[in-house]
Amino acid sequence: MQRRSIVVLMIIVFAGFLLLVGRLIALQFFQGEYLKKMASEQQMADTKISAKRGTIYDRNMKPLAQSATVWNVVLEPAYINSDEKRKIICDGLGEILGMEKEKLNELANKKSCYTIVKKKVETDIKDKIINFKVKNNISSGIRLIEDYKRYYPCGSFAASVIGFTGSDSQGLAGIEAYYDKVLRGEPGKILTAKNAIGTEMPFEYEQMIAAKKGHNLRLCIDETIQKFMEKNLEEGIRNHKVKNRAAAIAMDVNTGEVLGMAVKGDFDPNEPFKITDPSEEEKINSLPEEEKSKARNEALSRQWRNKAVSDTYYPGSVFKMVTASMGLELDVVNETSTFTCTGSIRPCEGAQTIRCHKRGGHGTQNFVEALCHSCNPAFITLGLRIGTENFFNFYKSFGFHNKTNIDLPGESGDLFFSANGKMTQMDLAVASMGQNFGITPIQMLTAAAAIANGGNIVQPHVVKEILDENGNIVKTIDPVIKRKAISEKTAKRVTSMMLENATHGSAKNAYVPGYRVAGKTGTSEKIGLSTPGRKDYISSFCGFAPADNPKIVMLVFFDTPTGDFYYGSAVAAPVFSKIMQDVLPYMGIEKIYTEEELSKLDVHVPNLVGKSVTEAKNESMNNSLNPKIVGNGENVIAQIPSASEKIPHDGVIVLYTDAESKNSSVKVPKLTGLSLQEANKTAASFGLNIKISGVNSNDSAVISSDQSIAPGTEVAPGTSVTVTFIHQDGIT
Amino acid sequence: MKAKRIRQKSSESSGAPKKQKNRKFKNLSSWFKIFSLKSGMDLPFLFLVLTILVIGLVMMFSASYPNAYYLHGGNSFYFIKNQVIFAILGVIGMFAVSCVDYHYFHKWAVPVLGISFFLLIVVLIMPPINGVHRWIQLGTFGFQASEITKFAIVLSFAHFINLNFHRMNTFKYGILPYLIILIPTLILLALEPHISCCAIVVLLAAGMLFIGGIQLKWFGMVLGGIASALLYLVLFTDKLTYANDRISGWLDPFSPASGVDTWQTRQGLYAIGSGGLFGLGLGNSRQKYLYIPEPQNDFIFAVVCEELGFIGAVIILLLFSLLVWRGMVISIRAKDKFGSLLGIGLTAQVGLQVLLNIAVVTNTIPNTGISLPFFSYGGTSLMMLLAQMGIVLAISRSSRIEKI
Repeated sequence: MQRRSIVVLMIIVFAGFLLLVGRLIALQFFQGEYLKKMASEQQMADTKISAKRGTIYDRNMKPLAQSATVWNVVLEPAYINSDEKRKIICDGLGEILGMEKEKLNELANKKSCYTIVKKKVETDIKDKIINFKVKNNISSGIRLIEDYKRYYPCGSFAASVIGFTGSDSQGLAGIEAYYDKVLRGEPGKILTAKNAIGTEMPFEYEQMIAAKKGHNLRLCIDETIQKFMEKNLEEGIRNHKVKNRAAAIAMDVNTGEVLGMAVKGDFDPNEPFKITDPSEEEKINSLPEEEKSKARNEALSRQWRNKAVSDTYYPGSVFKMVTASMGLELDVVNETSTFTCTGSIRPCEGAQTIRCHKRGGHGTQNFVEALCHSCNPAFITLGLRIGTENFFNFYKSFGFHNKTNIDLPGESGDLFFSANGKMTQMDLAVASMGQNFGITPIQMLTAAAAIANGGNIVQPHVVKEILDENGNIVKTIDPVIKRKAISEKTAKRVTSMMLENATHGSAKNAYVPGYRVAGKTGTSEKIGLSTPGRKDYISSFCGFAPADNPKIVMLVFFDTPTGDFYYGSAVAAPVFSKIMQDVLPYMGIEKIYTEEELSKLDVHVPNLVGKSVTEAKNESMNNSLNPKIVGNGENVIAQIPSASEKIPHDGVIVLYTDAESKNSSVKVPKLTGLSLQEANKTAASFGLNIKISGVNSNDSAVISSDQSIAPGTEVAPGTSVTVTFIHQDGIT
Repeated sequence: MKAKRIRQKSSESSGAPKKQKNRKFKNLSSWFKIFSLKSGMDLPFLFLVLTILVIGLVMMFSASYPNAYYLHGGNSFYFIKNQVIFAILGVIGMFAVSCVDYHYFHKWAVPVLGISFFLLIVVLIMPPINGVHRWIQLGTFGFQASEITKFAIVLSFAHFINLNFHRMNTFKYGILPYLIILIPTLILLALEPHISCCAIVVLLAAGMLFIGGIQLKWFGMVLGGIASALLYLVLFTDKLTYANDRISGWLDPFSPASGVDTWQTRQGLYAIGSGGLFGLGLGNSRQKYLYIPEPQNDFIFAVVCEELGFIGAVIILLLFSLLVWRGMVISIRAKDKFGSLLGIGLTAQVGLQVLLNIAVVTNTIPNTGISLPFFSYGGTSLMMLLAQMGIVLAISRSSRIEKI
């Protein structure tokens, strides 16, 4: 026996062992981390715990979007230990959730520890399931996992601004999308070890990382102001058969806080995927199958689009306030400069002539009158004096060439003649009257705010504060002044011209008694975007109040009105006026009446109930009211309008003297298309009152354009019908 | 005449010490006097075998219970129950065999070889399991034919080398008989196919012939011949793809192109890597949860590494090294050549299997089916192994070693 051979053999074997130890060192130490990571990746299953999404409040802390707890129903087939129990569970859940038992049975037989059966059930269903578990003594196999559902308690209110969330509570539009990171919080998770077939391991290995609630947002938007804006915008769309939606933005002129941003033709964020417009829905359903989904998607993205920041439009004559600012700032014009309008102008040699909206021309006028007439040739003349270079520089400093960076998603930039500001004389001529370049409504509003606040370009913003779950302020969005576009003096001069315009000029349909409104109308042709064979227009109005110390600036904007009127003065200005009539008192802005205004003030209705008929009659007449006695009683038992309501001078007050008479009613007559006097007379003859909205003037050019109660409606005698009057002069 | 000589020779060589202890052998109780200093078995070896066996059983239980739980109707004890029964039977068998005079196995050399060939042929007509014919299934009872083959090779080689010890330098006596045994065995194994067993058989045979004292040129030539035969099988038969896939998977087990074949290797490596220095603790392997296929079988060492860490793995390797070392010492000092050769062969078989198994698990060599002695699940295999350890213990009884 060769001992040596055996030793050699042993050495070989032990060398092999040493080699293996070396391999283990390599694998367990040098490659250990990597292998461990790869192993954990396949071994861990995590279940997400939803974080509660932050609430969105209006500036007065009224919730506009909030998350409520709902429940995900989860089956744990691996923990159902008998077929008998499986059947009880499937039958029970099927009944409570209204699901097919076969489907549930299939899920319950899966080799798994976690199968979601139904997502986001409400608390009542959760309670039913818990009762069911208790009643049948089921301790494992069904699990309820907390989740959240987004609610928008005000429905479509401010929908375009607030936006909406998707099925995983992720922000998809509006504030919800822009502030998604702030609102969503951090989801937690339950880490569980799992085996290769995806079921959990039978031993306990669970680690829970709690979810972190999202922050709350307090908006600058005031629910009340927003409501006034939406109501009147909707009315405007209806009255003027507006085809392509409408928008209005109201902003604090000094801070850039957006007080209201209404887009109508919007959606209900509770059901964002439902097409709001029933006629649109009908149209889509009538399409061939293959075109349906495309048309549906287009319709949805249209209704989600925030027109106020995502659409560009030609500002039209509204822009004349900017052109005027440029001219005054450059000192190429002053209030007494005169312009002669012959009805058209040829901006330069060989160019096409541009017509004024008044065929015959405005004749010779000073600069203030030119603005009040919104005279195109005058502004073209002014534009040519300003020059292309200056024009573009001011265009930039007014903020038209950059996005405003408002805290909303999908903001558009401008569409200028060229990116570097190169423009021809003809371009300059049309640009001076706001045509042929596209800007967004929010850009126009920011520029108007600069005129109102003394020349400062402010940063518009929708969110005021970020709050934590206990209401502590995490972050305040402070007002930011970006730069000065024009001097304070120029701003004041333009303001007073605009005040004159809204008092006596083309913007007088926007007039609000007592509140010194300054503003400018605009009607722009949608060149290249019109419906074939027609000229489509955008009617807009931009103004602010009070002119002596501006607080609020607002832009109202109707895309493609197809009713009787399309002029900004006829469509947008009255809506502006109606919104401001409500908003300005709400904001606590003091009324200051001129003599002329005082004479037209409404009369407070006295309380005449309980008085004798004669007494009541006398008192009505003393209050310059027109009494109408109904019934044969001796004393007044009821009256319409009721005490302290306001009706115009010589309005009708109906006095009921017996119970029977109270049931009488009258049909509301047609009150549109009439002058103020005629409307008053008609209403009085039916025993009704009118409430004047819009231009309060006996001027024959002022006619009523709509009425708050439709003709033919049965109402009690003495009811007030709000009638809107507009100045008929079609002025851009 | 040859056989007669063997008997004479063995009785001669074992005669002297036997006579000395004749009285003791007559006393039946002394056969079981395992702790006897003079004629008792080698306690360190016994101790090592039992230690490794117990550790092996514990680890087998730990590695097997998830599979047992998930795949055998929630019965976590499915595998360990069988294994413990076989281990107890095996230990009883080991003690019994240790009391047999190992010279008795001379008689068994040729019949066992015959049985080995018979089983290797039978296994080829058995239905394949996982595409290979390795198992002979008799009802619920199954075993691998190659377990017998390995023993048959060791036993018959020890027998013939002992017989022709002085003629080992001739071709006729030193080479030819072994080729006659080896070549058909290898061909039959290759047909299963069972390349890993081929490798063990070749290595065992080469080791024993080397110790037997064949001329190194024969050694080299035969080895070359076997290598080329293997090469032929790999390159020119339909086994080509089978082996090739394994090699490409070996070189880069994490490449997705390597396909499903590397799943086991990959999962084994994850387990080893997850262990680190101290491991996740006994019973805490995660990779055994259906990630490593059949963690109770060939890849049990990966679970060991994951649960007991580098330290545990090295301790187990150390125990195996001690076992091999002690087995070798027993063999070197065995009373005669047959004892030496048999002891070395049996000890080397354990050492080689450990070496190859861990080499596979650590992806040092391509993946091929080799079980880890005392650890891997398999009742017959464990009993066979313990019986073989019994033979080593039997040899130790007459070995000239210091006994405790």
